[in-house]
Amino acid sequence: MNKNKEQLLNKRYKAEKRFRLYGQSAIFMALLFLTIFIFKIFSTGYSAFQKTWLIVPVTFDAELMMLEQNPSKEDLKDADYYDIALKSMADLDPNANEDQENELKRMVSYFFEREIKRELLNDPSLIGKTKDVYLTASDDLDQVFKGNYPRDLPEDQRRVTDYQLKIFDQLVELGKVESKFNLSFFTYPDSREAELAGIASSFMGSIFSILVCLMIAFPVAVLAAIYLEEFAPKNRFTDFIEVNINNLAAVPSIVFGLLGLGILLAVFQLPRSTPLVGGITLSLMTLPTIIIACRASLKAVPPSIREAALAMGASKMQTTMHHTVPLSMPGTLSGTIIGLAQALGETAPLILIGMVAFVNTIPGSPLDPAASLPVQIYIWAESAERGFVEKVSACIMVLLGFLIIMNLFAQIIRHKFEKKWS
Amino acid sequence: MIKINSKNVDVYYGKKQALFNINLDIEENQVTALIGPSGCGKSTFLRCLNRMNDVIDICRVKGQIIINDFDINDKSCDVVRLREKIGMVFQKPNPFPKTIYENISYGPTIHGMAQSKNEMDEIVETSLKKAALWEEVKDRLHEPGTGLSGGQQQRLCIARAISVKPEVILMDEPCSALDPIATAQIEELIDELKKDHTIIIVTHSMAQAARVSQNTGFFHLGELIEHGSTDKIFKNPENKKTQDYITGRFG
Repeated sequence: MNKNKEQLLNKRYKAEKRFRLYGQSAIFMALLFLTIFIFKIFSTGYSAFQKTWLIVPVTFDAELMMLEQNPSKEDLKDADYYDIALKSMADLDPNANEDQENELKRMVSYFFEREIKRELLNDPSLIGKTKDVYLTASDDLDQVFKGNYPRDLPEDQRRVTDYQLKIFDQLVELGKVESKFNLSFFTYPDSREAELAGIASSFMGSIFSILVCLMIAFPVAVLAAIYLEEFAPKNRFTDFIEVNINNLAAVPSIVFGLLGLGILLAVFQLPRSTPLVGGITLSLMTLPTIIIACRASLKAVPPSIREAALAMGASKMQTTMHHTVPLSMPGTLSGTIIGLAQALGETAPLILIGMVAFVNTIPGSPLDPAASLPVQIYIWAESAERGFVEKVSACIMVLLGFLIIMNLFAQIIRHKFEKKWS
Repeated sequence: MIKINSKNVDVYYGKKQALFNINLDIEENQVTALIGPSGCGKSTFLRCLNRMNDVIDICRVKGQIIINDFDINDKSCDVVRLREKIGMVFQKPNPFPKTIYENISYGPTIHGMAQSKNEMDEIVETSLKKAALWEEVKDRLHEPGTGLSGGQQQRLCIARAISVKPEVILMDEPCSALDPIATAQIEELIDELKKDHTIIIVTHSMAQAARVSQNTGFFHLGELIEHGSTDKIFKNPENKKTQDYITGRFG
């Protein structure tokens, strides 16, 4: 009998130990996947925050630029920079033939003449002089310099020629190649050229979409939640509504995209590809999330508080507005932020309403065409150039950073402002 | 003087009848205790008096409850005005999660009883003094009311109830969550308050009923079995059930 009991006891201890082990290994697995994921993104993406520059001596030859004596500011703006730009690149190798000159030109970014123009506009006294100018390296050389480009491929299989590599290596040796922080990744809009592509347009697009989404979803959801929770009679009809709100939360996001396409664009003729339409579509998705969060936190307000207010002679409306709703706000707000974070990461509905279009301007309002961060990831991931690979990861890092900040904020609101019930 | 006169009050929760034909008169400026075993309907009856049962969807009240010659179950009765006249203190202290000051000033604010900050300060002070809490909290009026001890919280709730100068105060087992010392303080307070207010208290403690009340009503299974002066109910009850309950044979 006693032995039997001891066996039972041992069995219980072992079961507890086993269970704890299962739990620990589950957490370990989760952390492992997360680490691999983050490591992968960081290791591919971190180099996107660096940009390679070629330092090229440029002679600001007034004649080549078609400039008169004592040119005005306007003249400088209208001057022809292409020839001096071309010449300064060609001068890198005095013996170059015409084909090679062309290859030399393609070692820097497509807009290299603009960089030269900016230099002169900053300092007009440069006319007639020679100055070392920083020119953005082409995306392929950028990747070569970062060590992401396989140099051992046969020449006809890569986009960098042997000749370009030779000149580039010479420049590296002379210290004429520099790597600096890639500010343009944050300030430039999207571009077909990987070295010039930035997230400014998609970032602003995301911000505008989220703001539109917040302004529509929050008031509607909170009013709906307050009415359902505090005022509506509890009957079959309200049960039916509740079930449908939960259903709405489970609807795949692409369906909302189709709705936006079919109603907002086709029926209401709202401008395509804009954060306005994107935000409205996203608000449909966020609505049930906020309603559910708000109702849950209204439910969590103890009935004794409502009774206390009612017994003091407060009307139903006063009780709700003075006591219940303020007490439910921390939960509602953190639910809202989590809903917005979901919306921020949403891609499918935005693709359907046309926010996948190539936009190379920075939107100034929700009515301008824009992309959004997750869609930008999608666009870049589809691009063939090597230069976009690291940009995809870098963009993911920015998006994740935002999501983490938002979720952290939600946590802080919840912990800091939630009242403790005695 | 009769303050509240209830005639043939029936209460239903859905199909279930909770109170049967209650006829009970409450004397002005006295303490009336409602006693009886759990689930006998004494709290339900108490909540009829300020129509707190309205909050419960499935609850229906029939019959007349006449206060100041006015039937509060009549359609023309405005519950907000009614609850201004009839305050309530609950079983568990339920101060608002706001400051002590805001707890007291809430009622006067929504009923527009103070014209200035000074007047409001005065209302807060007198209410807290009447509730015998002033000395303990006068230096921390702007700290949260939920930070007080249980007994202090309950006195805060009483102060909150009397801030709007109600004619009647309903107390639903106000001491059941408190220790004996806090209970004694509340009982003293009840004795003091009956000078200005009519008090109806629901209690599980027979001793408390005997100590604080002048009149007692005994409820059992939704019926008012017996009512009368506390002396008579406790010393010389007419009904066998009352006697059994008071002597602790059931309940």
